[in-house]
Order: sequence, then C-alpha cells, then structure tokens
Amino acid sequence: MSILAVLTEDLLVRVNSRIEDGADRRSWRLVCKEFLRVDSLTRKSLRVLRSEFIFSLLRRFPNVDALDLSACPRVDDGMLTLLLARGAASTTASLRWNLRSLNLSRATNGMSFKGLALIASACSQLEKLDLSYNCRLGDREAAAISGIEGLKELRLDKCLEVTDVGLVKIAVGCQKLEKLSLKWCMEISDLGVNLLSVKCWSLKFLDISYLKVTNESLCSIASLPKLEGLTMVGCPLVNDSGLEFLSRGHSLKEIDISRCEGVSSSGLVSLIRAHCNLMRIIAGYLPELSAALLDSLKLLKNLTTLIINGTQVSDTVLQTISSNCKSLIEIGLSKCIGVTNVGILQLVSSHQKLKVLDLTCCGSVTDAAVCAVADSCSSLVRLKLEACYMVTEKGLERLASSCLLLEEVDLTDCSGINDSGLECLSRCSRLVSLKLGLCFTISDKGLSYIAANCSELCELDLYRCTGIGDETLAALSNGCKKLKKLNISYCIEITDRGMKSLGSLGELVDLEMRGLHNVTGVGLAAFAAMSKRLADLDLKHCENIDDSGFWALACYSHNLRQINLSNCNISDVTLCMVMGNLTRLQEAKLVHLPNITVEGFELALRACCVRIKKVKMVSELRLLLSSEILEILHAKGCIIRWD
Amino acid sequence: MDPEAEICGDTWGTRSSLSNSVQEKSADFGSQQQLQKKWDNNNNNSSSIMDYGFRIGQQQPPLEEQVNRQINNSIQGKNSNENKSPEWDPSAMLNNLSFLEQKIHQLNDMVHLIITRKGRVPSKPDELLTQQQQQLITADLTSIIVQLISTAGTLLPSVKTIGQFSQFTPKPAAASPDQQHQQPNNSMDVDHNYSTTEEHEEHEDGEAEHLPPGSYEILQLEKEEILAPHTHFCTICGKGFKRDANLRMHMRGHGDEYKTPAALAKPPAIKEVSSAAAEPVMIKRYSCPFSGCKRNKDHKKFQPLKTILCVKNHYKRTHCDKSYVCSRCNTKKFSVMADLKTHEKHCGRDKWLCSCGTTFSRKDKLFGHIALFQGHTPAIPPDETKTVVALAHTDDPAADDSGLGRMDFSSGDQALMDFKSVDDPVGAVASCFSPLNFDSCNFGGGFPEFNRQGFDDSEASFSFLLSGGSCNYSNQKTGGES
Repeated sequence: MSILAVLTEDLLVRVNSRIEDGADRRSWRLVCKEFLRVDSLTRKSLRVLRSEFIFSLLRRFPNVDALDLSACPRVDDGMLTLLLARGAASTTASLRWNLRSLNLSRATNGMSFKGLALIASACSQLEKLDLSYNCRLGDREAAAISGIEGLKELRLDKCLEVTDVGLVKIAVGCQKLEKLSLKWCMEISDLGVNLLSVKCWSLKFLDISYLKVTNESLCSIASLPKLEGLTMVGCPLVNDSGLEFLSRGHSLKEIDISRCEGVSSSGLVSLIRAHCNLMRIIAGYLPELSAALLDSLKLLKNLTTLIINGTQVSDTVLQTISSNCKSLIEIGLSKCIGVTNVGILQLVSSHQKLKVLDLTCCGSVTDAAVCAVADSCSSLVRLKLEACYMVTEKGLERLASSCLLLEEVDLTDCSGINDSGLECLSRCSRLVSLKLGLCFTISDKGLSYIAANCSELCELDLYRCTGIGDETLAALSNGCKKLKKLNISYCIEITDRGMKSLGSLGELVDLEMRGLHNVTGVGLAAFAAMSKRLADLDLKHCENIDDSGFWALACYSHNLRQINLSNCNISDVTLCMVMGNLTRLQEAKLVHLPNITVEGFELALRACCVRIKKVKMVSELRLLLSSEILEILHAKGCIIRWD
Repeated sequence: MDPEAEICGDTWGTRSSLSNSVQEKSADFGSQQQLQKKWDNNNNNSSSIMDYGFRIGQQQPPLEEQVNRQINNSIQGKNSNENKSPEWDPSAMLNNLSFLEQKIHQLNDMVHLIITRKGRVPSKPDELLTQQQQQLITADLTSIIVQLISTAGTLLPSVKTIGQFSQFTPKPAAASPDQQHQQPNNSMDVDHNYSTTEEHEEHEDGEAEHLPPGSYEILQLEKEEILAPHTHFCTICGKGFKRDANLRMHMRGHGDEYKTPAALAKPPAIKEVSSAAAEPVMIKRYSCPFSGCKRNKDHKKFQPLKTILCVKNHYKRTHCDKSYVCSRCNTKKFSVMADLKTHEKHCGRDKWLCSCGTTFSRKDKLFGHIALFQGHTPAIPPDETKTVVALAHTDDPAADDSGLGRMDFSSGDQALMDFKSVDDPVGAVASCFSPLNFDSCNFGGGFPEFNRQGFDDSEASFSFLLSGGSCNYSNQKTGGES
C-alpha cells in the first residue's frame, strides 16, 4: 500500500511507459492490482499468439491501438467477424474505431475480401496495415482495403494475386498512403505503378523489389513529389536510363538498387547528381564502381550508409570512398572482391562515427584490419566478420578494448578464434547477438566467459561448435537469462544434462538442435516442461529422442509455432498428439519419419488441418495420402512442400 | 460535326478517333485566333502573350506552367507559320471572306423567296420549278463550299504547324510515359478497333503514297456502282455475282457452250494485254464520287484510293449509314460487314470496366482513363463463386462533381483552358498532361452510377473453425500474449 501512496496514478503511467522489455512488463503486472490496472489501461500494442485468448486479451487491454495477429495460427473471415463484433459489443468498443495498426501477415487464405471489408468499415482510423505473405490475396481483397481512406502504410509483400487492377483500387482509395511495399507482387506491371504515381502523391517510401517493371515505372515514380525512399532490389528490366528518369525528382533520401542487372555505375551517378540529400545508398552487386561514381559521392554531404556488397573494389576505391564520404555510419563490403588490410585501413581511418561494418567473406582481412577498425571506430555497434578466417584473438582483443559499444558480432566460420579470443570479446558486455558457428577451436571455457559477462545476449549461434558441451549450456542458463535464440546444432557433446539446464532459459523462443545424438527423450522432456515460451524447435536428426520426449512437447510446449521432426523416431500416436495438441503450431517439417505409417500421417494431418499453414513431407506420400485430407489442407490454405 | 462524330460506341478506339477530330478542331480554332491577333496587333507577339495571360489569370496555380508552355508553343507555331507561308495574304483572305458572306446572303434571300412563294401558292407545287430551284441552290451551295475550302486551304500549313505543336505541348516529365504509351497506340488501334473510319482509311492507304498528280489514271465509280452488291451479272438470267469466277461457274448451268475450258478459263488480265501491245501501263487509282471528300479527285489535297475494294469500303464507312449492329453489345454499328465481324470477334471479351460504367477494350486504355479522373477505379468483375459484390468505389462525391464531365467543346478555343472547374490539384495536373485528350469527357453530366452494393455484415456463411477447446493448457497466463 505504501508504494501506491507515494506513486500517483499518472506517475505510475509515466513509469510504465518507460518499460520496454516484455519480461519487465510481466514483472510489473505481478506487483499488485493497481500496477496491473495501469498496465492494462496504458497498453497500446498487442501481439496475440493464440487466437483463443484474443477476446479476453482485448477486454483486458481496452486501449490497444496496434494489433498484431501475424503469429496467430488461423486468422480468417470468421475470426475477423467475431473480433469486430465482439470488439464493438464489449467494453473494447474503442477497438472498433481506434485501431491504428493491424498486422495480418501470413494469415492464410481463410481471410478474404469479406473479412477485409469488415475491417475497412469498422476500423476507419486504421493507418497501418500489414497483409504481407498472404499469397492468395487478390484484387478483390485489394479493393476491400481501398475502403480504408486514411491508410498511410501498407505492406503487400508476396500477395501474389494482386494485379494492376488491385493496385489501382488501392491507389485511388487510399490517397494518403505514405509507405507501400509491393515486393514480389509479381502480377504488377508498369501500368499499375504508373497509375500509383499519378494518384498517391503523398507516397514517401515505395518498395518495388523483384517486380517486372521497366524504366517507364521509374519515370512515373520520379514524379512523386515526396518520395524519400525507393527500394528496387532485383528489378531485371530496369537500366541506367531508368535511373536517369529518377534523377528528375529531388527528394530521395534512400535508394536500394541491389541486384538490378541492367544498372551500372553511370546510372547511379546521374541519380546521385540530382539527389544531393541521399543518406542511404544500397547498391549491391554493381558490375563495377567507376571513377565517376566515386567522384560523385563527394556531392552527398549527408550520406550515412553505403552498401556495395559483392562488387570489385581496390585499395584506391576504398580510399576514395573514405575521403569523399565523411559522415558514413554504415559500410557494407560483404562479398566484395579485393578488400585488403590496406584498403580497410584507409577506409576506416577517418570514420570515427562508424557504427556498422560488414566484412562478410572478405577472406584476406587479418588482425591488422580489425585492429585498425578498433582503433578508429570506437562507437562500432555491429561488426560482421563471417569467413574472415585469418582473424585471431589479437584482433578481438584490440576490438574488445576499444569498441565497448559492440552489440552484434558475427564470427561464423572464423576458424582462427579460440577461447582466449572469446575471453577478450566477453569484455563487450552489451553484446546482444553473437555468432560463432563453425568455430571448431572454441570450447566450454571460452563460452563460460561470454556467459559470465554478456548478460544481455539474446542470440547465440554455436552451429557445429564441436568443442561445446553441457557446461556451456549450464553457464548460459545461469548467465544469459535473456537468450531468445540459440543454435546448438551438431554440438554432439551435448547430453540430456545440458538440455535440462537449457530449460531454465525462460525467454528462449527459438532452439535449433539438429543432430544431437546424445540427447534422449528424458532430456527433451525436461527441457520442454520448463521452456514455456518456445515457439520454434528444430529436432532434425535427433534420432535418440523417443516418444517420451515428444509426449512432453505435446503436453507442455503450447506456444510452439514451428517444428522440424525430420528423421526423428516419433511414433504414430505421438505425432498425432503433437500435431493435435499444439494449438499454435503453424509449420511442421515431417520428412523421413521411419516409424510413421501412412495412417499416422493421415491422422496427424487431420488433427491439425484447421490451423496448420505449412507442411513438408516426402513426395511419395502425395499418392498415398487420401485425396480428402489433401483437399481439406488445400482448402484451408495450407501449403504442402513435397520433398 | 463530321461523320465520325456519330460513332457513339464506348471503346477507347472510338475515343481516339474522336480525339483526333478534336485535335484538328482545336488546332483550327487556334489558327483562327492567330488570325484575329495578326489583324488586331500587327504581328505583335508580346501583346499576344498578354492576351493569353489575361485569360489564364483565373487559372489555378498548377495549371499555369502548363498553359504557359502551351502559349510558348503556340507562339512558336505562329512564328514558324509566318516563316513557312509567306504567300499567305490576309487581305486576299478578307476578300474571299467577304465574297463568301455575300454569296451566303444571296442564297439566304433566295431560299426566303422560295418559302414565301410556297406560302402564297398552297396548290400543288410545280415539279419542274422546284427541281430547278433545288438545282440552283445546290449549285450555289457547292460553290460556297468550294470557296470556303480553298480559302481554308491557304491556312493549311499554319494549321499543321500548330497542330503538331499542340500535340507535343503536353509533355512534361511526368506525363511522358503515358504519352508515349498512348501515341503509338493510336496506330496500333488499326488492328484492334475496327469501328472508326479514319483508322480504316489509314489502313487502306498503307503507307501514305505520294504519287505525283498525273502519274496515274484516276477512275471514279458512281455511287450506285459502288453500292451495288454484285458486279458480275449473268447475261442470260440476270443473276448477280460478286466474283467473275462464280459467274463463270454459274454460266455452266445455262448450256454446254459455257462448259468449255476456254469459257471457264480466266479471261486474260488487262495487264498482259497491254504489255502485249507494249504500251506503258498507267497506274490506276480511284476517286470517291462524294464531292468534297478528301478522296474525291476535285479535292485540293486529293488522296487517291488504291483499289476498288478500298473505294467500296471507304464509301460505305464514310458516306453511308451504319446499318450493321453488333448483336452482342447492341451499340456498335458498322457499315461494312467485315468490320462488324472483326468487332464481334472481340466484342464482350476482356472488357475492362471502370467504376463509372465505361468499358474499354484494353487495360492500358482503362488505366489512362482512370488516371484522368478522380475517384474512378477499375471495377472487378463479379466472382464466379456467385458472390456478386460490386466493389466499385465511387463513394467520393467529389468524383462525380469534379466538373470534368461538364466540359463542353462548344466554346471552341476555351475548351483547351477549361480546367478551372477541376478542384483537386492531382486530377487537374493529371488531366493537364494531355489536354487534347478530353475526348472521354463527353459523358454529359454526372456519370452513371455503377452498381453499388455494400458488404453484407450479417453474412451467415462465415465459418469459425477453432478446435481449441479439447486441449488443456498448463499456463494460460503467459501463453496468450507477448
């Protein structure tokens, strides 16, 4: 009581608003009823994991204005109807009108234009809508969306059936649109993009990646007066003259022309000359970097990001970049040919502000370059050194001593890294993501330093680190309580003991543990019983896990969303249990299951057919399974991948 | 208006032909305006700008640039006009015009006279007299027409230049893809749209051939000959045939003498005969019997027709009623059977429908239309799964009242500038990009409301399938949200 006497409600609200982490919020809610009430009332966004709780959740959080249903197993018209009807009837009347953001990506094809039209009529305040990866979304649905007049942000990635007609519907209906992503909408052509540019004048960000559009589209896009960002990755029909069209506009701040086969340096030069305010240039896989291009970079006073992955560079090129771009924060040289120590030295020498450096697959880079980076860029946050196999503990030592802000380090395949290197690296206590895949020389000792010092770690990749054993997992479960994603595939030393200790990682969401022969059903059961939040589990080739482990999964892992059971010795009954009992399961890989009969598959699929979105099975089953179940799966929008 | 104007079908193809005629018209008006100015201002260019500027004064800001460009261009056109046609003489023109005026007055009086006389003598009119009167009037009218045409002919060079310029005027950066898109399409239409006379004539011409006058022999078939369904008649029974070969086959029925190989053989071609006589062959070209037609040999800019078939098709398309009606759409009319058949092949297929109810044969035409008008959207045809929902989104009342629909051409030169009524800058600028393309605006007043139908909220067919109930959840508190 005393604390409530001191803290008035508005103070509580303000304190609550500062809490970002999910776990902390949970703790907050558990303090007392008043705290819980404050949290319920102030909560603005909600990501629903299981659709059966959606209504009670909405009742609990009446002021939610951002709703994310992308993780729900099935979102269909019926669900949306109920949602909107209940929303209106219950205390959450505000939902009906105040919802500003709605994420319906990967909602399967159970959702049609009827549901979307309901949303359009009920949520007139909607500003942000994500419909990406709904492969069967077509023009009719697009037409339904076009009823939301105030829409500002719309994602339609991989809505494969949306054509120009649908796009035009949206363009005419939602004229306030500021952000639009049309990535992989393969049916959209120049006609649609042209009309979009005529109608949606407030457009600021546009993504037309992988579309079969030509220069004509770019010509009309250039007329958009407010366009700031254009992403056009992998547009094969666009060439330099298209970029010249783009140079008619003047407002561009971001451009991504990666993997556009027809585009060369000269096109980019004309673009740069016109858009002097460019801040981000992503031009991966350009055929060459001409002198004119490097020279034109001088014009860009505000350039902060330059990503030229996969191009041919030389020391002089890197030097010119260094002298022409003074304010770079992010540099990407992934898979560039010709990156040397000297080049890196010249590049980073004048860039104290550099935060992100990607040197993936720059094989000739050694400790000298890493030391240079460490010396000049003290504010480095992200460093990728994948496959830089000459980097050793010396480089890491220098890095750890000067770049204390490092959050993300990728050392995959850096075979020169050993335990003492990790000891040095553990000084970077802010580390969030660490990738050590294929580092064969590291052992439990090295990881123990990391576990002890890097308490913020969320992601750890130990793929094929064969020197790693149960001790590492024990240390991680004690030190890295925030770990969300862990890859221990093919760390063959790991046994049931290690699995049991993993169970105490309360935040663990994603675990990949392929090929762990020493883990049995006991270990998996112990882990599953404790790991409540697990959503993604890969058990491929864990051949010694028996039914007891899978039973435990079926009983405890209710948040499991994706599972890979390929090459596992699971029995018919247990598979059926797993597939039927896990109500959040959306994706299952069921390849090469030696103990499963055709009937077993049939039953398991029947048990999950209402909610599963994706199944992978061996292709022989195609003929053996009953056509009925295949039809049901198809009708429910489930994608079957035949291996 | 010219005969094409009566084509009131609704495909874009028709539109484009209309737009051509409109273009010509506006160009014409432009030239008249220039005339006016020349007389008024003694070729003072700056004052003509003032003149224009004054009129643009009320325009909306985004239009100004556009209009200015037009002005500049038209001035250019004028300059080039001055350079190109030095022989043009305003005073001669004035003479001509006053002559015409006199003529029309005379005619007017004469017709007046006839009417009053008729009124006075209500008895059965003398047939001979009326015939004479008619002939007299026709002759006078013809001479007036000829005079008018020849007078206008002196203006032709200038008209052309202006026409060209105004065609290219609306080509700012943003609009050019559309333009590029649309202009080649006009020529492509020849294949796709089968209704418009002009396009067909282009077709007949092939590439416009420029034979020097006199290098070919001009034949002119009479109207009856052209319209006669059959050209080969049986000398015995009088039955007519379209082809000589058919006639010869027919002749076999009339007796054995017509069955001989000689009688059945193709008669020797005239060419062979003439070559045998070693005379140089004169190329044959045909003239349309319709006086005043461009294809008539008396026309100042006569363009001959290549074959008899061309003559027939031209005459029917241009100077005859369109009596064949498409049985599918019941709107398209044709005067040539082949045209109807071509149309019927495509009619009803791939209809691109706008929410305003207008249909288009091609997607790009529909999109061009949508780009011009605010609030118009493509209509999605009803699903095959019997869910008839018209998704037309025409709820925006501004769309129907944007004033574009009321644009009229009657005010001639003002039509070019008549964008004042457009309320939103988007639509205004969009339409500005192709000011000559307002062919599709002649809907009359409001647009026909497209079948509007809301979504049925109480749809009972929604299935809510959630099989969650059977399972027991160990931790419902942490599971539900994140």
